[in-house]
Amino acid sequence: MSAVVEGGSVVKPELVCPAGSLRALQMAVGAGADAVYVGLKDATNARNFAGLNFDDAQLREGVAFAHARGARVLMALNTFADARGVDPWYRAVDTAVAMGADALIVADTAVMAYCRSHHPQLRLHLSVQASATSYEAIEFYRRHYGIQRAVLPRVLTLSQVAHVVRLSMVDIEVFGFGSLCVMVEGRCALSSYVTGQSPNTAGVCSPPSAVRWQDTRAGVEARLNGVLIDCYAPDEPRGYPTLCKGRFDVEGRRGYAIEEPTSLNTLAILPELIALGVKAIKIEGRQRSPAYVEQVTRVWRAAIDEAAGSAGGYSVRPEWNATLMRFAEGQHHTLGAYDRPWR
Amino acid sequence: MNAPWKRDGSANVPAGLPPPLEAIRDIVRRVVEHLPVQPPSFVLARVLDQMLLPRLPADAREALSRRIVELQITDLGIRVRLQLEARGFCVASVQGEPALRILAPAASYLRLLRGEDDADRLFFERALIMEGDTELGLVLKNTLDALGPLFGTRNTQSM
Amino acid sequence: MNSAAARSFALTIGPVQYHWPRQVMLDFYAEMAASPADTIVLGETVCSRRRELKPADWLDLARDLASTGKEIVLATRTLVESEADLRFLRRLAEQHDFLVEAGDASALQVLAGTVPFVLGPHINVYNRAALAEHAALGARRWVAPVELALDMLGLVNPPGDPVKTDSGAAVATEAFAFGRLPLAFSARCFTARHHRLNKDECEFRCLEYPDGLMLSSNEGQPFLVLNGTQTQSAAQHCLIGDAAALRAAGVSRLRLSPGSKNFAQVVQWFDRVMNQGVPVEDALPALQAMSLQGGLSNGFARHRAGMEWSTA
Repeated sequence: MSAVVEGGSVVKPELVCPAGSLRALQMAVGAGADAVYVGLKDATNARNFAGLNFDDAQLREGVAFAHARGARVLMALNTFADARGVDPWYRAVDTAVAMGADALIVADTAVMAYCRSHHPQLRLHLSVQASATSYEAIEFYRRHYGIQRAVLPRVLTLSQVAHVVRLSMVDIEVFGFGSLCVMVEGRCALSSYVTGQSPNTAGVCSPPSAVRWQDTRAGVEARLNGVLIDCYAPDEPRGYPTLCKGRFDVEGRRGYAIEEPTSLNTLAILPELIALGVKAIKIEGRQRSPAYVEQVTRVWRAAIDEAAGSAGGYSVRPEWNATLMRFAEGQHHTLGAYDRPWR
Repeated sequence: MNAPWKRDGSANVPAGLPPPLEAIRDIVRRVVEHLPVQPPSFVLARVLDQMLLPRLPADAREALSRRIVELQITDLGIRVRLQLEARGFCVASVQGEPALRILAPAASYLRLLRGEDDADRLFFERALIMEGDTELGLVLKNTLDALGPLFGTRNTQSM
Repeated sequence: MNSAAARSFALTIGPVQYHWPRQVMLDFYAEMAASPADTIVLGETVCSRRRELKPADWLDLARDLASTGKEIVLATRTLVESEADLRFLRRLAEQHDFLVEAGDASALQVLAGTVPFVLGPHINVYNRAALAEHAALGARRWVAPVELALDMLGLVNPPGDPVKTDSGAAVATEAFAFGRLPLAFSARCFTARHHRLNKDECEFRCLEYPDGLMLSSNEGQPFLVLNGTQTQSAAQHCLIGDAAALRAAGVSRLRLSPGSKNFAQVVQWFDRVMNQGVPVEDALPALQAMSLQGGLSNGFARHRAGMEWSTA
């Protein structure tokens, strides 16, 4: 079941991998990523964690490393510029251009407008944080800001993705693997409700500074700004202390009322994604280690090559899933919204 | 199946410790449990001064500065308390709560230091536990990730 | 000083976020027609499966309410996924009787250059340049994101130097001032999930929860409220004590988000305190006494966690 388009030629989607450090970038490129996405060490991107991301020199080195090996570097600039000072966002655009990034991943119309007026040649990708879930929404950003690719939020079914791909005038990128947001990205203020910091404003969700792990007689408690998010029995696997993946009481029943700690894994539907014309597949995890980046990239390189190869007979190899499962949050994986019953 | 060594908290040792090590684990533990905390801390401090300190970025150095970090090698019963001072890593006082406590079996530390594993994955599996200042833990994790293996490298760096 | 004040703040009745039976909905709006509110926002913004009122019903209701002197705004869905959603948007773009409140960028695409529109609270405008971009396309009113602090509203659209529409008028700022906060949206229906039902066979169980389904921490702390595909705060955001900060931030409109109990009284209290000089000290005990489980919060207004409450 290989993916073939009208002309008989197979369009192989780009494999876009996360890099939270120069080392992770090198590992991703070495393992076969077509593109890596990175962020600067500040609140201008949605993985603003201490010790993570790139300074100017590292970005320059990373771009040189990737370009020398035929890979592209996409820079995430996907938080919303702070009304108290939008300059860091505009400077980040300038930095990306100066360091030779191949595209910017953007969400704020202010940033897009700046790109268009100051760097008209710069390629723009619409971030998942822009919450564009329909072809009309994507068209809004294409018509006014010339975006050339859109990353879809992880809330659409496979047939809805197909519909968007068919009617969009830009390339479509979807998430293939990684931790799962159950909420529409860019539309979630849960973290700021509890901690005062959100993905939109500070580039963080459930920030570590607000997390406390406490050993108690009942088990290990995870608290977010004092609110009990979960309590783990001694032998229970743990998840990120992300509040939507905690266990709560609803009408007297304790459980994962919003979402289990699972990871998205779309290996099983990769040929369908390719056949319907998805142009890029994104791996989540800029906060993860280089070991994760390397091993997950290797699996996806092999899978995409096989699914897009004309040999046919693609099937998910057990060892691919074994590797991905090892790294998956919650040790489970799901097709997420691509699979209708999930919703 | 009620192995006697499980009662003292080593039930979560993941697979991966080489068999010879496993065999001597109990012996090592019985010996080091009676040692004061200083000797392994002192040795580790000197090792970190040579291998980590010169490569430590300024922001990480500042975040770690004067904060007690306790490492427990759970299957060997070793407990190490360190603190970064202006002159380098030092053995920290045994008194008081550390800012950050990391608990993991030897195999987890080895795999991390060799750059073979992902701290988040070990955390999900409870093969690595962090207590205390979560943000400090994350600084440490991200910094070490960015530096790459401190030893035993498979040498992917040379690409 | 108090008595001299003309109406300082226009009051907007936000869209009903919950799934109420048709008759309950019609009774509610009959009550609102007699309230001191200036503006009423109509429409199902949360879930496309909810059809107690069909699109034509909403338009009929809009005309009825408009005849009572209220300004009517028609709101579009926050999460647009289907062609049916888009058809409804196009229909709104073709009518010229009412303002339309854009719930997402699909609505912006369809509305830009057709009818003047309101930027709903889930359009991500976090700075002045972004507001100016949208104003140039026809936005004339801005409902700020709920997580944005009041002083930030004043920076995005300063009262002394407001962002201008394409026709040169000042863009008006509206703040979410009362009600359970719409915090997140998903394709998943959490109410159906709680009842172990698929979204497509949800049996409209959300009809059973006129103010949402309470989610508490394992310590019994009321925390969030599940409302179908939407997640809300358990606490009711309440800015009745923030008139001065609202005014300083250039806010001219206050959005009151409907609840099933005592809502007409809430509107009355806001009108008395914000527009008639009644001291907030008279209103607060009453609002606190009739608040839903979860109490009141106002942290978002002051750069704090949204769930916090302070009277300072």
